[in-house]
Amino acid sequence: MEYLAHIMAMAGIFVILTIGLNMIVGYAGLPALGHSAFFCVGAYAAALISVRYGLSPWLALPIAIMTAAVCGWGVSLLTARLSGDFLALATFGLAVVTYSSVLNVTSITGGPLGMSNIPPYQLLGLSLDTPWSFCFLVLGWCAAVLAIAFAMVNSPFGRVLRGMRESTVVVESLAVDVSGFAGRAFSFGAGLAGLSGALYAHYISFIDPTTFTPLESVTVLLMVVFGGLGSIPGSIIGATTLVILPEILRFLGLPSSMAAPVRQMLYGSILVALMLIRPSGLLGRYKWR
Amino acid sequence: MTWLWQLVINGLIAGCIYGLVAVGFSLVYGAVRFFHFAHGAVYAAGAYVCWALYTELGMPLTVSAMVACLAAGTVGLAIEHTVYRPLRRKNSPSLILLLASFGTFIFINNLLQLVFGAGIKTMRASVVTTGHNLLGGVVTNIQVVIILASMLLVTSLALWRSRSRNGKALRAVADDRIAAELVGVNADRMIAMVFFVGSALAGAAGVLVSFETNIEPTMGLNVILKGIIASLIGGVGSIRGALLGGILLGLAETLGTWGVSAGWKDAIAFSILVVFLLVRPGGIFNAEIQVRRV
Repeated sequence: MEYLAHIMAMAGIFVILTIGLNMIVGYAGLPALGHSAFFCVGAYAAALISVRYGLSPWLALPIAIMTAAVCGWGVSLLTARLSGDFLALATFGLAVVTYSSVLNVTSITGGPLGMSNIPPYQLLGLSLDTPWSFCFLVLGWCAAVLAIAFAMVNSPFGRVLRGMRESTVVVESLAVDVSGFAGRAFSFGAGLAGLSGALYAHYISFIDPTTFTPLESVTVLLMVVFGGLGSIPGSIIGATTLVILPEILRFLGLPSSMAAPVRQMLYGSILVALMLIRPSGLLGRYKWR
Repeated sequence: MTWLWQLVINGLIAGCIYGLVAVGFSLVYGAVRFFHFAHGAVYAAGAYVCWALYTELGMPLTVSAMVACLAAGTVGLAIEHTVYRPLRRKNSPSLILLLASFGTFIFINNLLQLVFGAGIKTMRASVVTTGHNLLGGVVTNIQVVIILASMLLVTSLALWRSRSRNGKALRAVADDRIAAELVGVNADRMIAMVFFVGSALAGAAGVLVSFETNIEPTMGLNVILKGIIASLIGGVGSIRGALLGGILLGLAETLGTWGVSAGWKDAIAFSILVVFLLVRPGGIFNAEIQVRRV
């Protein structure tokens, strides 16, 4: 049953990641395709702080979130003049740059060898390194993130984001600082990715660049689109379904050398099928523009 | 200065491959106005078909290369028929086509991995020779073939698009699909032709690369990204611009790795992309097709 807890923990990490991206793509209507970069930044920031500087993982967590959020804000500044496919391409490009930086700055990140021995979270003298204990930690965070996300999308802030998605011109004519709101949406989404990155790093206790390939961003976007653009319950469904679905392959007895490509093929065909049948996703109410 | 000249030659060869991929990509963009990301997977498929025919089935090299190009063209055509055409029928925005293209890319890439395995494959097309001495730099026969073949293919494609009747119809479809259909151009047929020709070019690039270096299932990602950057540098939609952009990108990458490790190539390429997108989205010539912006 450890296995079940592990799947739940991974699903939880992806739910947080997906909600963050949904805020950028689904609510603010900015088609960003580089979420793996923020996930990567969060994981490496947490790992560096707790391994190199020996600080407590609990202290590393807010720093990881902040670092990722600042990166998100920077990305939104850099891409403020782009929209549509060009924004998608530029953010994907930034994910490639992040990936290759992590791979190449060997003196800090360990390069292709990654970083190991990342300490687990400690709570009341217990270390949360077993799937069950960690699973509860992640579910706790999920609940907190959900509460914040629901409050945010129903607040005036969320209304502005939704307005931006419908028409930036209209929102701008109401004296709203569009690029400022885009920056806030980006840093919120990136901060959540930083949170899930830190949780991931302290759970698995080993990170290397292969977890953060740029194509991972497409997987996260697929989770957003599958559940529904601009729908938080959708993000929960999307992330959980797409984390659990490939696990079925394990029970079909595929060898692991085959399971990995088949899993990706499944993701690829689901993405194409969604675009053909229901581009705004299961619970999505909004259309791509 | 010998090493500098060698860097220039290496950059030129990498640039020709980027250019070939970029030309096919640009041709497709010119006709349908979306980023055909799966083009990278078509390129990888071309390389694998050539490898399988030559190494596994023992066919002659020229036959394997030709069949691989045609196979790549067919793959491109199949993608257009099964994915893009239905999406166009539904008037999907270009972003949806891009996402579907990403899905297709992931699908084909992993299909290749499933069929051929994740490992690196090598094709020894000829005996390894020392290569010719060109002004102090070393060029192998295969590299000469790469440069000549890409120049020839791109020139004939540019002539085909600017001179032939089909090329004219194609430009009409690119300018205004509805108006072109009004005067009797079969737009879907033209677009299908574009996909076939562009994908065959990507296949040719894959074949040329497989002569020179190793092939692996993930080879498409790097090349399509470079192809997109190259076509943006040259002004997306322009054929000559795409080749020139490819060569410039190849040179920038190799010369840029002068002081730092070669692993930084991608970071250099993408910094160029971001700079171009922000400062000069129409490419160095500022574009026959203006990039859409806010």
